Amino acid sequence: MFKHLFKLIWNKRKQNFLFLTEILISFLVVFAVFSYITYYYQNYSRPLGFDYNRVWAIAYSGEQLSKNPDTLTTFYANLEKSLKSMPEIKEVSFSHSNFPYSSSFMNRGLKYGKKDFNMINHYVVSNDYNKVWDVKLKYGRWFLPEDLVTKDKAIIINESLRQEMFGKEKGIGKIIGDEKEKLKVIGIANDFKSDGDFAPMNNIMFVQLDTANLKWTSNILIKVNETADATFESKLYKFMTSTTRSAVEIQHVDEMRASRNRTTLIPIFLFVIVAAFLIINVALGLFGVLWYNINKRKGEIGLRRAIGASGASVSLQMVLESLILTTISLLLGCFFAVQFPLLNVFAIPASVYVIAILLAILFIYTLVLACSLYPGKQAAAIHPAIALHED
Amino acid sequence: MIRLQNIEKVYRTDTVETLAINNISLDIAKGEFLSIMGPSGCGKSTLLNIMGLLDDPSKGNIVIDNQDINRFTDKKLANFRNEKLGFIFQSYHLINDLQVLDNVELPLLYRSLSAKERKELATAALEKVGLSNRLKHFPSQLSGGQRQRVAIARAIVGRPQIILADEPTGNLDSAMGNEIMDILINLNKNEGTTIVMVTHDESMAQKTHRLVRLFDGSQVQ
Repeated sequence: MFKHLFKLIWNKRKQNFLFLTEILISFLVVFAVFSYITYYYQNYSRPLGFDYNRVWAIAYSGEQLSKNPDTLTTFYANLEKSLKSMPEIKEVSFSHSNFPYSSSFMNRGLKYGKKDFNMINHYVVSNDYNKVWDVKLKYGRWFLPEDLVTKDKAIIINESLRQEMFGKEKGIGKIIGDEKEKLKVIGIANDFKSDGDFAPMNNIMFVQLDTANLKWTSNILIKVNETADATFESKLYKFMTSTTRSAVEIQHVDEMRASRNRTTLIPIFLFVIVAAFLIINVALGLFGVLWYNINKRKGEIGLRRAIGASGASVSLQMVLESLILTTISLLLGCFFAVQFPLLNVFAIPASVYVIAILLAILFIYTLVLACSLYPGKQAAAIHPAIALHED
Repeated sequence: MIRLQNIEKVYRTDTVETLAINNISLDIAKGEFLSIMGPSGCGKSTLLNIMGLLDDPSKGNIVIDNQDINRFTDKKLANFRNEKLGFIFQSYHLINDLQVLDNVELPLLYRSLSAKERKELATAALEKVGLSNRLKHFPSQLSGGQRQRVAIARAIVGRPQIILADEPTGNLDSAMGNEIMDILINLNKNEGTTIVMVTHDESMAQKTHRLVRLFDGSQVQ
């Protein structure tokens, strides 16, 4: 029977062209949607690597502050003491502008042996940064004040970068970088997802904020306790404005996170809605094409009933024809889809594309099956005598 | 071979009730060649459809080859049609997207036969109707007479005991019609196939063993 159906489909290839094209386009759209969803789901399912709750980011301008490193060091030490003396504040850390959810990035490359590692998120942070964000270390330790005076600058990298650099070795104590700048790995942090719940894990490195870097500091990150309310925020605002003599902005990191997630989710929702409309149209189109085919083939259906086909086998034939046509379209669609992982398009992991291909295949088969069952049932209900008489 | 007992067929709509067949009883013996004649709309094709189990009678009983058909399920009816009955239609009802050989193989698709067996049987049937040189042609490449011969080959490929022909020469000129009639007569004579033929052509009907005339759904001869 399969051979017969293949022959019939092949001989009717011109009539089937619309169906084949419709399925092919649908598959590619569904593949794109599932690639999106799989990619973001995989990212979402990975742990953040830090705790953003009750972390506030205070942004200010450091232009009015002294440019003298010693004066600046004293200023920040006093500022830290003043902030820590407030009962609502648990931890204080200074940072450049690229802290989690800030939409600000600082990338650099690292060298280890003959290998280059690029696009590493570079965080310049003060000693209590790990306490503010509750960053956990897998191996080694966090920065100590005395690390500022060691021969080789201390560095903490994330677990994924450690695996890329050192493989099975823990990497603690390894010297990386080049002749100009040697960095000593003192700790390995858990992977860190700093750009939203749906963002990919990027490789990261933490280096210690030293006096040379203080002038670039423009953000204070504080961990507050449950008692920190709007009154405290207002008090803090006034204190920071008077201390830094600049405009100050206090942001709650959980709100920044929600905003960042919205930025990712809104385009996905729009894409899914557009795709859903397309799929609904395709489903209606498929239904229409199958319905039209059955009406056009009433004579053939009547004949098949007359020569020995039961209602169920006529129905099955209609469904099988649709599924065979779908398989042809999907084979063609898969040929295009597999190019994405093979060519590493958009630098997305191949597993995302493979899962998306499988989901899209399953979805299209389900769609076609759902759209062809009812017309198939209607075909089975065609009265052979009437069908033969009408044709 | 075929026994129709008090067959009635009524077509009903919301407002109209039409009696297409009125209390017809008919016994057709094994190996008989019977023709049915009558004016258009007198119920000839309806009666043939009922005999061919393509339509249900409103009343009455049908026995074919000593089997009471009334209790058959859809699947059993389909198998019965496949094994016992062959159909020939005035408008041939060939599938234009299939080659001649594939058209003839169609009834065998619903049997447990290998592709090779199907091909052999279909080729043999086409040889019988003189079309062994047209296996790979499509119906659109054949004349009317050739198409009807393909339809006959399709009807006989499964070696049915009964052939039901609904105006098989209706679309053909007299020469072609005679050719088709000769094939049917040979089938009846040489293979003992029971044939029931609906026709408008008196001369064709005269070539058969028995003639049944219908008028307004009733048997008048």
